[in-house]
Order: sequence, then C-alpha cells, then structure tokens
Amino acid sequence: MSTIAAIGTATGSSGINIIRISGKDSLNIINKIFSNKDKLCPNEIHYGKIIYNGENVDNVLVSYFKAPNSFTGEDIVEINCHGGTYIAKNILEIVLKCGARLAGPGEFTKRAFLNGKMDLSEAEATIDLINSKTNLEARIASSQMSGKLKDDIVSIRSKMIDILAHIDVNVDYPEYDYEQLSNDNISIFLEEEINRLKKLLSSYEEGKVIKEGVNVAILGRPNAGKSSLLNNLAQEDRAIVTDIEGTTRDVISETVNIGDLILNIFDTAGIRESKDEIEKIGIEKSFKILDKVDLVLYIIDPGKEIDEEEKNILSKIENKGLKIIYLINKMDKYEKTIFDTILNEINQNEEKEVILISAKENLGIEELKNRIKQMFLKDFLNNTSENVIVNSRHKDLIQKSLDMLFKAKEEINNSVPIDMVSISIKESARLLGQIIGEDIDLDVAKRVFDKFCIGK
Amino acid sequence: MSYESSEEYDVVVIGGGHAGCEAALASSRMGMRTAMFLINMDTLANMPCNPSIGGTSKGHLVKEIDALGGQMGKNADKTFLQSKMLNTSKGPAVYSLRMQSDRKMYHIEMKKTVENAKNLDVYQAEITDIITDGNNKKIIGVKTKIGAIYKTKTVVIATGTYLKGMVIIGEVFYESGPDGVFPAKQLSDSLKEHGIFLRRFKTGTPARINIHNMDLNKMEVQKGDTNISLFSFENEENEVLRDRPQIDCYLTYTNEENTHKIILDNLDRSPIYSGKIKGIGPRYCPSIEDKVVRFRDKLRHQIFIEPLGKDTSEMYIQGMSSSMPEEVQIQMYRSLPGLEKAKLMRPAYAIEYDCIDSTMLNLNLEYKDIEGLFFAGQVNGSSGYEEAAAQGLMAGINAALKVQNKDPLILDRSEAYIGVLIDDLVTKGTNEPYRMMTSRAEYRLHLRQDNADLRLREKGYNIGLVSEEVYNKFLDKKEKIEKEIERIRNLNIYPTTETNSILASLGTNPIDKVYKASELLKRNEVKYENIIEMDGNDVNLPKAVKEEVEIQIKYEGYIKLQKEQIDEFKKLEERKLSQDIIYSDIKGLSLEARQKLDKQKPTSIGQASRISGISPSDISVLLIYLNQNKK
Repeated sequence: MSTIAAIGTATGSSGINIIRISGKDSLNIINKIFSNKDKLCPNEIHYGKIIYNGENVDNVLVSYFKAPNSFTGEDIVEINCHGGTYIAKNILEIVLKCGARLAGPGEFTKRAFLNGKMDLSEAEATIDLINSKTNLEARIASSQMSGKLKDDIVSIRSKMIDILAHIDVNVDYPEYDYEQLSNDNISIFLEEEINRLKKLLSSYEEGKVIKEGVNVAILGRPNAGKSSLLNNLAQEDRAIVTDIEGTTRDVISETVNIGDLILNIFDTAGIRESKDEIEKIGIEKSFKILDKVDLVLYIIDPGKEIDEEEKNILSKIENKGLKIIYLINKMDKYEKTIFDTILNEINQNEEKEVILISAKENLGIEELKNRIKQMFLKDFLNNTSENVIVNSRHKDLIQKSLDMLFKAKEEINNSVPIDMVSISIKESARLLGQIIGEDIDLDVAKRVFDKFCIGK
Repeated sequence: MSYESSEEYDVVVIGGGHAGCEAALASSRMGMRTAMFLINMDTLANMPCNPSIGGTSKGHLVKEIDALGGQMGKNADKTFLQSKMLNTSKGPAVYSLRMQSDRKMYHIEMKKTVENAKNLDVYQAEITDIITDGNNKKIIGVKTKIGAIYKTKTVVIATGTYLKGMVIIGEVFYESGPDGVFPAKQLSDSLKEHGIFLRRFKTGTPARINIHNMDLNKMEVQKGDTNISLFSFENEENEVLRDRPQIDCYLTYTNEENTHKIILDNLDRSPIYSGKIKGIGPRYCPSIEDKVVRFRDKLRHQIFIEPLGKDTSEMYIQGMSSSMPEEVQIQMYRSLPGLEKAKLMRPAYAIEYDCIDSTMLNLNLEYKDIEGLFFAGQVNGSSGYEEAAAQGLMAGINAALKVQNKDPLILDRSEAYIGVLIDDLVTKGTNEPYRMMTSRAEYRLHLRQDNADLRLREKGYNIGLVSEEVYNKFLDKKEKIEKEIERIRNLNIYPTTETNSILASLGTNPIDKVYKASELLKRNEVKYENIIEMDGNDVNLPKAVKEEVEIQIKYEGYIKLQKEQIDEFKKLEERKLSQDIIYSDIKGLSLEARQKLDKQKPTSIGQASRISGISPSDISVLLIYLNQNKK
C-alpha cells in the first residue's frame, strides 16, 4: 500500500495543525525534511525544523509511531506545525513532493479498520464517555503540551498538593503536633498560585491568536461600508478555508491573512435596533457572535449622524469589553470638520482606537492592518512568549482551576472550615491534573506519607 | 484421626477478631446457620494494639457499620473510657469520633453478644484446613486441628495476623499470634495447597507500662469531651450510656538528646534495619525507629499514654511501637519525661504474618477462583480494627446473600468509606498494610459520619440486618430532617432589632430586608440554634436532626458540587463488563492490560480504570469493544 498524507486535526478542538503521514515510507519522507531526524524514535515527540530546498519552513513537533502500534497499524509520522493554513498546506505539499500521495477521504480510518485497529467513528461515539472521566482524556492529550507549559503546571499543582497534604495531615491526625495551617498561610499560598495561573492564562490569548487567528466582526449600520471593507481585505489575500475543527465555518464569511496573522471574519447582519421580527433575529445573532470574537471593527458612515440608536448599540458592544477599532469610512468624500465632530463624539469618555479609511479607495487599510497586528502580536513580535497555551481545552481547565482558587480565597476570607476550602483547592488541582493526566487522590495520599511523620 | 461433625453450617467464620465477630453476627442475624472458630475464646474481639475505636475516617467506618446493622459501634458505646469528637473546627465531613475503649470490657460485651446470638455457634478450635470440591472450585467444609470436619456452604477467613504469626523483638524471633496467643501454623499451607498465593506483611505495637511506674505530673492531661458523642445511631438519645465518668489520657514527648540518640546508637540491633524483617510494614504506622530515621529534623515526637481499662494499670504507649531488643526498649521508654522508672509489663514487638493478595477477590470479598470462600480483615492486607470490622461485616453479609441466592451487597466509592476501602483493596491492591484515611475518599463531603444512616440504613434493612423497629425510627428521623429543611428554606427572618442584635453578637452583618432562614444559615457564623432564636419558634427536634439540617443547608453548595462529581463517577461505574470477556482476545489492548484485566475481571469500566497499569487508551479500546458487542 502506498504512503498517504493529509492535514489532520488533533482530537478535540486544538488549533494546532497536524500533517499525518501513514505507510511504509513515512520515516523516509520525514528523514528528508526534518532537522532533528536522528532523534526520532517511536512514541516520542521531537522538536525541530522542517527544511526544504535549504529553506526553513516552520518549527514543528514530530512524532513517530511504529507499526503496528499506531492508529492505522502502519508506520505513522505526525508533524505538528503552527496554525494557519498556509504553513500546513506548505508542509503537506513538501511531504507529497517527497513521495507520499494525498489521502482520500476517510483513508486513514479505512486503513485502521483494515489493520484491525480501532474504528474512528466508534471512537468518536465513545469519546463522551471517555471525557466523563476527563483525566483519562487528558493523559492522551498531554502529549500535545509544550515542555515548559507542562513544567509550570506540574510545579503549580505540586504546590497545591503540598498544601492539600498538609491539610489532610491536620485532618487525619488532628492530635499530632504538625503545624496547623493557618488561614494566613493558605492565603499567601493562594495569592501566589493565583498569580501564576493568571500569567499562564494571559499567554493563551496570544497563543490562540497565533494558532487560530483573530476572530473579527465587522459591524456598522447598513450601508456604512461593511461589505466594501470585507471585499477589500479579502481580495488581497483570500485565504484557503481551513478544515480545522472548531472554527465554525458556517459563520465565517472570510478568512484573511495579514502577514503572520489570520483574521477570521464573522458574517454579521447589519446591526441596528429593529422592530421587524425577522430582522431582530438576525441582529440577535450578530450580538451572539460578539461572544466569539476578539475584535470588532465598527464602521461609521460620516454622512449619517451618530444617533441615540447607534450610541446604544455601541455601548452594548463596549460593555462586552471587546477590543474595538472605529473606522470612519469614506475619508475621501467628506470635509475634515465632519471627521472632527465624529471623533469628538466617539472619544467623549475616553480615547478610542479610530482610523480614517476609505474602503473603496483602499485608503487607511495598511494602517488598519498594522494596528491589528500590534494589538494581537505585541509579545509575539517581541519574541517573549515561549510559554503559551495553545489548546483551548487546556485554557478552559486553567481558567476553571483559577476560578476554584478564587473560590478558595473567598472561603478563607469568610472563615469557611478548612476541609471545605480544601475541596476547592483539590478541585483546582484536579482540573490542572486533567491537563497533565494525573490523579489527584493518589498524589495527595502519597505526599502525606512522604512528608509527614505519622502513626501510632 | 478425623471425624465428621453432625453440625452443618451455611457460613463458617475462621477467626474471632473484629472482622470475624462482625461476619458471624451479620450472617447469623440474616438467618444463616453460622459457626465461628477461634484459637482462644478469651481473645474474642481482642484489641492487641491501641485500646481505642474510631478516629479520623475510622470513626466513619464504625458509623457505617452501625448503619448497616453491625455491632462495633454499639459495643464501643457500651465500653468506652473516653469519648472525643475530633476535627470539630475543620468541617462536617471530617468530624470524627474516637473512643478510648476498655479492652477487657469490649471483649466481654462482644462475647456476650456473640453467645446470645441466634443461629450462631462459637468454638475454640484452630482451623487447619479448608476443604473444597474435587475441582477446587467450591468450598465445602473446614477441618479443625483436632480433626473435626464441618460441612459448610461458605467460609469467611478472618485470621488477622495469626497466619504463621512471627513475633520479633530485637534479635529474638518466635512463632506467635498477637498478645502471646498461639499462631495458626497450618492453615497457610492448606490455603497454598488450594492455589492461594500468600505474602508476608508486618505490623507492630508499642509496650504496655504500669501507670504506677509513671510520673503523670510530667505529662499533659488529655481529657474527653464534656458533651459525649456515641457511635451507634440507636443510641442517639441514650443518656444512660453518656452518663459515665471518663478516664484521662496523657501526652509526653521523645527527645533528641536521649530517645533519638538511643535509637540511632542501636540501629544495628533493629531487625528492620539489619534486614531480618522481610515483611512489608505500613508507612503510616511507622515504628519509633522509622520515625527517627526518616524524619531526622523532627526534634521530638508526641507520645500518647492511653489506659487499657478501668480495672487495670496497664497503659498503652501510643507513638512508640518498636521492634528493638527489650533492653534497648527499656532505655528508650525511660528517656521520656514521666516514664523514667518505667517497667515494661509487655514489651513492644513487631509481628509478621501471611496475608493474601486482595486483588484476587471480587468486590463482594469472595475469592475469585473458589466459590463460597470469603476473606476479610487483616488477612486481606488491611490494618486497623475498624477496617477489619467493615470487611468482616461485608463478607458476612455477602456470604449470607450467596447462600440465599441473592445479589451481593456492594457499596461503591461514592456510597461509603466501606466502599472506598474494599474497592482500594480489591481493585488497586496494596503493597503495605492498608489504613483508611479521609484523603482516600474522593467524595468525603458526601461520606460524612453524620449521614451514614441516611446513606446506608435502608440497605441494612433490605438485607435483613436492621430490624423493623430500628428502621421505622430511622424513617421517622429522615422525615423530620426533610421537613425541617423544607421549613427552614421557606422560613422568613425579618430585620428586627432582635434579629440584628443576634447577628451582631455572632459577628456577622445585620440584615435590612427579609431573608430566608436558609440563606442566613449559610453564613459561617450562624448556627441552626441561632435561626431558631431569631424566629422565636422552637420546633423542638432531636439533636441529631438539628445537626443534620444545619449541615445540609449550610454546605448545600459544596454538597451539590460533590453530587455532580458522583454522577460523573457513576457513569463509568454503570458501564458493566461481563465476567465472560476474554481480554487476551481483544485487539488493541496493551499486553499488560490484557493480563491484568484477565486476572482481575473488573465488573465495570470504572473499576477497570482504577486498576494500576490500565491506561486511558486501554479504556477507550474497552469502550469501543463494548459498543461493537452491543450491535
């Protein structure tokens, strides 16, 4: 059987692109293009570069599964590359040039089936069950994590386990003279771990943007120039629609590349307060979309006064705490004084991001693109973000874990009994454990034995 | 040399300790003709180690045993010297009752109960053989050392530390059971002949010292509670049992200059450090030499001095178990303030014994390969009276249910500490004597000692261990709790001056509008009694009901969260795995998983996931397998 390749996706909704190669030539192919090929051995993940024709294509993680211990039962090589369809497509093309052929729909599954391996559809049917014992899932997914991130999580979680073990010793051996943890001790601990988790979380926004792109909604009253702007952005570099699961294609009207950054532009109905029932539904849908986007481009037609209705809508958007760039369109058509009036109107309360453009005449568009890049790639451009969370599941778990620590902190402040507080801390540690696939109860019990001298 | 007894039994229990007594009482109370055999009648329900019942998580076990209809709690209530509720400031899930027990009285009271039990015969005899059918698939009888053969449908082995018991004191080794009783030397061989693999575990106990040789003034007094709590739900309102003088315990400390130095200087004479003891000892119950070696930076260790009974001067030296030579022990004990003139009435010793690999049991505690053969207690690799009693009760129940052709009673990890205990032993197995701890229970907020009856009474009633009368009383209590919770939820508390002055006196904020009583009760400072005070209408409920109402309302949010976790847990527990699955035939499972699953034959996906060495991908393969076979 020939060696096949395709852009696959990781289980779940991770935004990393994976190029999967299956067949007897998998290893030969990767050996031609991977900088770190000498290190490759089965079931390990190695970091390196994809180099083709002397050119550095991307920094990637490569894993190799030797037949028959792989998904298809054949030799499999998986290249985890950065998000953005360009890179993945580039690498896929290189892989095809090196001797693989493009896999047909469902061909990996078919091979897995033929080789007596698990059937994907059935695996998917049961995934919910597996998820219900979520740390199982995590153990599988843990391989997706960068070493640094994992180290951080292990270290934060280890601190939590220390505290939990200490609480458990206080609880299980109440009459022994181990220092009873005071609320102050616990508060200090909580404060430290909360800060560390917060820092991790902030890296996610960045990481997500790099892998999945910026979700953008273009809003404005009808005929303000939304479609012109969209066309303008799109015509220049219309991106290939990705197959990445989780980017809800049905609502993305365009995916646009600006330099390293991908913009996923969401389709929205014109927003204005309406009495028409059908239109209302469209508008509600637009506001729903605001829950998914990172950035709103709000287009203002200088020919129309910003009336109460529009102000209402704007404050609704602002209240959501989203990043907004105000675009005053048709800059070529109106007098400067009009723009000043509008600027005053917009900047009434605080300084806003405002750009004058002409969507039709392609004026101000470059400035817009640069602003967006600066907004979202600041740290990345400064190259400070080695330790980013890229997986949205990881992010959710960290967020939940953080929430639990906040809860614990509040409980301490309210003098809730220590055992209750330990439930919140334990839940927090359990959630982190799901990222790295560790079982909290075993860990705490072990730590109790290791650290404390107890018994009759 | 042997004869066939004219007596035939449904259940034969080997051993008369805490596991054996519960097993025998449970099966006889369930109407089974039951016999209990023990080597020495005077050691029935003996406490060869600490003279106390309960403590953290162990107290929970006692409450659960009681809720199911077991005896331990009632017997402890009758014979306590001191009662103490531990952890009262740390949250309701970890409140734990511990009683110092009168060791002799505990034995006497339990013996009376056993003697008076219907359907139960008790014999002083060493069982040397178990007898199975021709294929070694089914138990059919037991044989005593004297040669009497008793036919039986089931056997519960609850031999504690007696199997090939070996006492070690320094360089001295001798065959013995605990407390100087004869060991069981032959039964091990019979078990091995029937294909049962045995291992060696070790445990130890400190010295007993005459109180007249102590200077109590040099120690801190440890008193019991003024408001005495009891174990048994049936004694909730029993004031007679509460009205009893309590006996004090004492606290002293080891010291670095003397105690620790003596130990370190003599380490080469410790059989553990010289390698003479092969058995695996418990980490959580280290000897004093372990503590000193492993935790060198700890300058002193607490030593509790506990009475063995009101009619004896023997005191138990908790915290100082040892297997050092006797002459070293004397120096060690005498280095403690107050014990300078100590004489050892009984020296500390370590004891090694045979036990089985508990993963060879099913969750009903029946041995996988021999039908009708049950194991309970220390022989399963656990330690502790309460852990033993809990297993004994469950083994006795399940042996009876087996004879009655009924489904086994299996408690899962979300239902009881007993469930956690047995699942840990059977599913995960243990490499050292296993002790219950609150941290082993994932759902400890649900597994509280106060609600053990709410969790388990009905199960006890359904199998016939809880009497109609007791059950009706329980139903009444349950109804009162439910009604009162409902009432408190709907009760309005008005922002009157009285209310606000009560709130102020509790150190919490005043209210300026009408509050539901349940909302106020959720404030940490506010107790049920305060609500009654604010409302001005005392509904006069029993104390236990009030406590339960307060806990359930106060911690509602936490309890709800735990219930959600339990629901998640149950999903995988409810994906059942047939005992007929041949795992070695399932493609995709790792080799290790195939072997372990074939050996352990888990009953559910959840149980399979807890077996060590079973990976998540093995579990997904199993799930797929189940789905395929459904079609």
